[in-house]
Amino acid sequence: MGGFITAFLFPITLFLLFFTAPFGLWPRDIAAYRTFTTLWQGPLVRLFFFVLIGGSLFHGTHRLKFMLVDAGLKGPGIQAVLDIILNAIAIFGSLGALYYALRGWLFF
Amino acid sequence: MAAHEYHSKRSAGWWLRNPRYLMFQLREAGGVITALYGLILLNMLQQLSNGESAYTAFLSLMRTPPVLYVNVILFALVVWHAITWFMLIGKAQPIQFTERPLPWKLVFGINLLLWIGVSGAVVYLIFGGF
Repeated sequence: MGGFITAFLFPITLFLLFFTAPFGLWPRDIAAYRTFTTLWQGPLVRLFFFVLIGGSLFHGTHRLKFMLVDAGLKGPGIQAVLDIILNAIAIFGSLGALYYALRGWLFF
Repeated sequence: MAAHEYHSKRSAGWWLRNPRYLMFQLREAGGVITALYGLILLNMLQQLSNGESAYTAFLSLMRTPPVLYVNVILFALVVWHAITWFMLIGKAQPIQFTERPLPWKLVFGINLLLWIGVSGAVVYLIFGGF
């Protein structure tokens, strides 16, 4: 699921937020404070970013774990530590995204 | 006779031996970079909640030439990850709508079209269009 989320949603999101304004590729600066705060009022936008951040964190940390195992970090003890650290990053990052998505909407 | 685990010996640079291995590792790296961008987007939301000056400082940092050009490279890896993901879907076809698997290039093409459609929907529904 994280792979689908990152493959379908990430490229266009990163392109619009980080590359259109510096390279003059879009009529307006979507990431500018006033523009983005207006967009951020919408619950669909908040849900979108929560799903995007959560999906990318779980997907990316999963891929990182297997890259590290491929690089030689093998053994039940090491893999248990990797599982704890990487899943903690994904879980707490997702909770952080949920907090910011709900902040100013369900609570201040 | 006791059974012993066989430890395969593989050199650290195994992925440099073959262009396919290199493409594989680049795809994996693209996947890891999505997690990095997830953290960057999370930081962006945090700066947004901290107010205009904090958010503008974050944006200015992201647009400084060194950071911007590193981002271009990382973005290229993210796009490569997405494209190879669609290729994998074509070859694995985890969900089949036909009795026999379809040619992978056809499924890849369908996924690319879906990607364009989803991107258009994101532009209009999330980012307010042009």
